[in-house]
Amino acid sequence: MAQKEFSVVGKRITRIDAYERVTGQAQYTGDIQLAGMLYARLLRSPHPHARVVSIDTSKAEKLAGVKAVIHHQNAQVPWASGGHTHRRYIFNNPVRFVGDAVAAVAATDRHIAEEALGLIEVKYEKLPHVLDPNEALKPGAPKISTDGNLSVGKGNFSAPIAEQWGDLEKGFKEADRIFEDTYISKHVNNAQLEPRASVAKWEGGKLTVWASTQGVSNARTDIAKDLGLPLSKVRVICKYMGAGFGNKNQAQDYDLMAAVLAKVTGQPVKVEFTREDDFIGMHGRWASEQHYKIGVKRDGTITAVELDAVTNVGAYRKQSGNLSGTDFYQIPNFKKVVKPVHTNTVVGANYRAPAYPQSVFGFASFLDQIAHEMGINPLEMFLKNRVRLYANKTPFTSNFLEECAVEGAKKVGWKEKWHKAGAAAGPKKHGIGMALGGYPFRPGLGAAAIRVNPDGTAHVLVGVTDIGTGAKTTMAIIAAEALGIPLNQIQLTNGDTDVTPYSVGESGSRTTPFTGPAVIAAAEDVRKLIFNVAAPQLKAKAEDLDLRDGKVFVKSNPSQSLPLGRAVARSGELIGRATTNPTFKGLAGKSFAAHFAEVEVDSRTGHVKITRYVAVHDSGTIINRLAAESQIKGGVVQGIGMALTEELLIDRFTAIPLNPSYRDAKVPTHLEVPEIEVVFIEHPDPYGPFGGKVVGEPPITPAVATVANAIFNATGKRIKELPITPDKILRAAQV
Amino acid sequence: MDEEIKGKGVSRRDFLKGLGGGAIGTAVVSTGLLDTGKAEAYPTEATGTRRGKSVINLKVNGRGYRLEVEHRATLAELLRDQLGFTGTKIGCNRGECGACTVILNGRNIYSCSQLAVWMDGKEILTIEGLVKGEKLDPVQEAFIEHDGPQCGFCTSGQIMSGKALLLRQPNPTEAQVRRALSGNLCRCGNYNREVAAVLAAAKAR
Repeated sequence: MAQKEFSVVGKRITRIDAYERVTGQAQYTGDIQLAGMLYARLLRSPHPHARVVSIDTSKAEKLAGVKAVIHHQNAQVPWASGGHTHRRYIFNNPVRFVGDAVAAVAATDRHIAEEALGLIEVKYEKLPHVLDPNEALKPGAPKISTDGNLSVGKGNFSAPIAEQWGDLEKGFKEADRIFEDTYISKHVNNAQLEPRASVAKWEGGKLTVWASTQGVSNARTDIAKDLGLPLSKVRVICKYMGAGFGNKNQAQDYDLMAAVLAKVTGQPVKVEFTREDDFIGMHGRWASEQHYKIGVKRDGTITAVELDAVTNVGAYRKQSGNLSGTDFYQIPNFKKVVKPVHTNTVVGANYRAPAYPQSVFGFASFLDQIAHEMGINPLEMFLKNRVRLYANKTPFTSNFLEECAVEGAKKVGWKEKWHKAGAAAGPKKHGIGMALGGYPFRPGLGAAAIRVNPDGTAHVLVGVTDIGTGAKTTMAIIAAEALGIPLNQIQLTNGDTDVTPYSVGESGSRTTPFTGPAVIAAAEDVRKLIFNVAAPQLKAKAEDLDLRDGKVFVKSNPSQSLPLGRAVARSGELIGRATTNPTFKGLAGKSFAAHFAEVEVDSRTGHVKITRYVAVHDSGTIINRLAAESQIKGGVVQGIGMALTEELLIDRFTAIPLNPSYRDAKVPTHLEVPEIEVVFIEHPDPYGPFGGKVVGEPPITPAVATVANAIFNATGKRIKELPITPDKILRAAQV
Repeated sequence: MDEEIKGKGVSRRDFLKGLGGGAIGTAVVSTGLLDTGKAEAYPTEATGTRRGKSVINLKVNGRGYRLEVEHRATLAELLRDQLGFTGTKIGCNRGECGACTVILNGRNIYSCSQLAVWMDGKEILTIEGLVKGEKLDPVQEAFIEHDGPQCGFCTSGQIMSGKALLLRQPNPTEAQVRRALSGNLCRCGNYNREVAAVLAAAKAR
């Protein structure tokens, strides 16, 4: 498919809501103030595993200003959010991790609510606990879930995630060498800047929740299901959202708590999390222990891969716990067994490209190591084994992974700069590394409506939230392009289930591929209506008309035209709408990426400085270059944090998280981050809206391994456990 | 006792309040803005009345206010809850993330880590105060052009730190900008953009 000339798509477009975001006018959930609104705070378990024997709330209730206290005895609400793997109530007994919610207090101000938490007297009976997933799988380990510590799978019974193709035994027989090793990743908090908040209000049996959610439609479905309400009795609104990176999908427990407290008190309630609540009470990326067996030919070609892994999903299973980093490689014979395991720790669940960066770290580090041991240049190793067919059988809708790697290598100067690992002279060691990554690009259900006003301006209605990706701007750009009117003639309303059509929610990089086609179809729908009313005015047939740059014209004679505002002036309002659900039919979709980093490792201190970073991406057509570049840069920064510093430390004896704060969890700051050079390999995908694939999740996937491989190239020592901190680098140097 | 857990403990605000007396004392000596009679009204003991209030006079975005504030309220709460300047965000409420950054007498500070009662006689500038009529501040303009906000939650703080830097150093180097913004976290990882925006704003002046 040849690159089409676009009028809006592909330009550098500033965000349509940038003004609100730079002036403080953008209203986030925590900014909402309603008349008579109460504030709520949560009490959390200090024990990793304990039965709640009794809760005495009498002193708390006597504190002036306290309006309600809820807990497992008086508020038994399931928090099913998503499905069968998530078996949980908003308050659980027994409590299963330090931070499990025990009670919530609503009071006239937040300080009183906070004070009241200290007056609740809870009697616990401590139960034995287990923190390590391998220990948790042993017979006789403390049982966390009634189904056992191996989490339930799709069949609703305890089962690992398993995938297999080819003939593993044959594959290993064909190998000239077989390598085995283990790589470890740790729990990392999403750490989005906006702390959790939810505001709930009841009016005549109808519940409105101002949620900080990545998806208003899913949040509504979940809240309705958990509270036993019809969908029509629940409205969820989220206009501005301070990010989540996967930890604000759907509805969360505090949305339900806000709803219950508002019901009980008859007043609107705002639940607010502290930053510590966010670190210990919600979830972060699941930790993993990945054991690989890899067979390769003399020339480096992979013949077989066996992955046996455990992931730590914490006390409750919220999402998959899978590891998918092998996706970017052509593996003829493959077997994967990933066991998502329950432990008495904070939940391990979705964080940007949930199953990827930790898993790419393991596999791409090991491949880099194998290349080293076999005397093969890593670039050659990665290029040789890059994926051609998904799961060794399904063709991709488009795949420019090779071009990403070749272009990136050229830009970073791989040929001139790569050297044997640990070969650099002097105390400050130069290193260069690379890795491949990407993220699935899937089609799915989307909906949109477009109202064309009598003055020729248009109003787009979409259910999308904009968690920082620029989704509102992306949808407006797609609408402008598809309608044929300038972007500044477009207004957009998003994120309100009473007003806007269904949207899948901003997770899994699904907004553009799901809702984008619906916007295009809605535009086509309203264009037909426009041509019908314009046809008699232009003395032409409707099918002979076109609309571009805000002008309706006769295709065969463009000078015969009318400004859109004139054409529709007497039509009241024209409304186009569409619900779309495209499929790929026997194809797999993926955005691809190849990343390159140069580092300087101080061999005296173990300090790592990233001196250069090049990220090359195949995301099909880029809809908005400005926002897409920002997305890539941001994903890389999160990957750098995960590679070098971030880990939620849990005390092995008390099970108490030791560093639940930004400073102590070591989230990257302005000082650690280099300029990230972004390159797009732009070939339109035949199935994406205007040829676009996905952008949000791919950039974090190869970033961790890229930094790790650069450190190896600098030091000649392989660190197999994240994060790669100075102490690990110094210890490895002494061996 | 392990068995009997009374979710007690000294809250951070009690702790700050404990510090309050001393810090206020210093303010009295150095600025003379507060009379001792007022200072005595601040409870210093953690078990003291928790609902103590005082009246303060302060200027926010050029406008004077006379307000009754709770002793345990922070400046961030005063701005957001009492005055409705919700452009100032609270990200961590413990002086780590910088989302609450405002300018106090010309310097950028974490408003979550200042008690409201300390603001008597002070002059505060928030993100809302940067807009002059219809006209945005050059730092705000540059943040739009350079895609400074992703989720936007840290943006007010980044802009205020950038503004404070340009007030004292109109032509900063890139290294100076990074250092000046280093107390403002951006989990969206948009650091390149924020630095570029502040540098562009410096050039635009």
